[in-house]
Amino acid sequence: MKLKGHKINGGRVEGEAIVCNDAFSFVGDFDPTTGNCLIKRPELEGKSLIDKILVCPTGKGSSRGPLNAYRAMKVKKSPKAIVCTQAEPVLAAAAIVANMPMVDRLDKNPLEVIKTGDWVKVNGDNGLVEVIHPGNQSLQPK
Amino acid sequence: MFLTQEEERMLDGDYGPGIQKSTELLVKLGEAFDAKRLVPAQSAHIHCATSLDLLLELTEGATQCRVITTTHPNPYPDVLDPIGCKRIGLPENYDIYEFIHGGPWRQIEDIFKRLGYLLTYTCVPFLVGNLPKPGDVISWGGTSGAVTATSMFGACGSRDSVPANIATSVTGRAPYIGMAIKQNRYAQVLVELDRLDLGNFTNADYGALGYYIGEKTGSKNVVINGLPKTLSLEQFRYLVSPMPVSGATNICHVVGVTPEAWTLAQALGGSRPEEVITVGKDQIKEAVDKLTTAHSGEVDLVRLGCPHCSIIELKDIASLLDGKRVHPNVRLFVATAKQIYVLAEAMGYVDIIKQSGGVFTNTCVGSQDPFNFIGPELGIETVATNSARSAHYSARTSRGKIKLLYGSTAQCIDSAITGKWRAIR
Repeated sequence: MKLKGHKINGGRVEGEAIVCNDAFSFVGDFDPTTGNCLIKRPELEGKSLIDKILVCPTGKGSSRGPLNAYRAMKVKKSPKAIVCTQAEPVLAAAAIVANMPMVDRLDKNPLEVIKTGDWVKVNGDNGLVEVIHPGNQSLQPK
Repeated sequence: MFLTQEEERMLDGDYGPGIQKSTELLVKLGEAFDAKRLVPAQSAHIHCATSLDLLLELTEGATQCRVITTTHPNPYPDVLDPIGCKRIGLPENYDIYEFIHGGPWRQIEDIFKRLGYLLTYTCVPFLVGNLPKPGDVISWGGTSGAVTATSMFGACGSRDSVPANIATSVTGRAPYIGMAIKQNRYAQVLVELDRLDLGNFTNADYGALGYYIGEKTGSKNVVINGLPKTLSLEQFRYLVSPMPVSGATNICHVVGVTPEAWTLAQALGGSRPEEVITVGKDQIKEAVDKLTTAHSGEVDLVRLGCPHCSIIELKDIASLLDGKRVHPNVRLFVATAKQIYVLAEAMGYVDIIKQSGGVFTNTCVGSQDPFNFIGPELGIETVATNSARSAHYSARTSRGKIKLLYGSTAQCIDSAITGKWRAIR
């Protein structure tokens, strides 16, 4: 499945999706020393965001969020990319300083069509997101 | 995005790698939000809890900041009053940001000095010389300062991040987005007041009003109709400071006070509001109840100054404390800017507050208050405050370990003297 969206930050990567249904902040929702998610939901708490494609509605919270994303990036513990419904300036700055491709305003709601565990390709340069479901294991790199 | 010749040169690295990296960040941010160009900025304000590596990257080769730049509260809580801070149990050299960020603070401070950042260490930059005029584009860390400057002084401060604040300080540019665009500033939600006793409204009532409105309106622009035109700077700050905490407010027009809201129609840009909210006594009580998490009336710590106290607030605190003593079981922690402290010293307010047992700080007493983290170890369970911001953050950053009581300055000082939370206004 291909989704057409809008570039927030450029770059092309692929990886496993982790879906967070609430607005996300790198302060409070994320531990930059471990790369783990701190959101108190059973499907998210303690899960690693390292090298994941983070799918969320938007950003929220502290203006220091991008510092945590940058700090995690320096020790290779940041997510790989962000796909969101509608970006806001703090989450966008996190993507920019931590070199994460980021796409928003997709033609389908990413929270509905992307599931945690899906293999997702993100092209930040042209705003394209391609979803490959986990059933297609053969498509995942070994 | 259109760039001027000068901006092209900045982006090409003609002014060094730091300006280049900073310009690149601002251009990317602008493009992400469909900005047509960058605009000249007039002011920046920088959080001290930054990342040394990122600060180095964004400022490498830059000799001076290009716009007036001030710094957010001090990472060290005991700079203003080392003896007092020691007495109430703060460890020596306690550094709230080292604790949180593992950052080498002294190196960061050296870079701030080299760049000519004014080391004000306060969240109220407009009270210590960084005062924007209507239309000035500002990039400020700290949402209380930004929403106050935008709503009371007509400045253009949008939701912003620490890296963008730094980039604007060294480039003198900001993306042409958000509050910088007149069309984005008009109010969307109208707040009407229903039979509130405004003649006897305390600062805590203003805070509760703002806290309620923020939660109901999220990131929407707000206009409040029916507040007195004589609203003081202090009342205004208590009103708007909690809004970006319970919500994500960029601008709150107060009809008759906000420079671009002399009339309701002007605030709404001639349109009808998308939504009308009415606030009466029940809504104020709802907000106060949300901010109150303590069940016990025994107070361990009283915290004032989130945002930092103005000289008028210090005068009020001194007059409430004059000749009285803080209860031996209570700590009274008062936050202000050093520049305001010096004036309060000259006026004798500092002596009165200190002799009563109050302790001063110029650190953050909101989200980063040291007692949010080490309070429980020191036996501090219940904190009383006149700040909705501080109450909200304290309950969360302490992960519920600190219980909050929320009320006016007079009620807080009464509890500092008696050790008990009593229903006085």
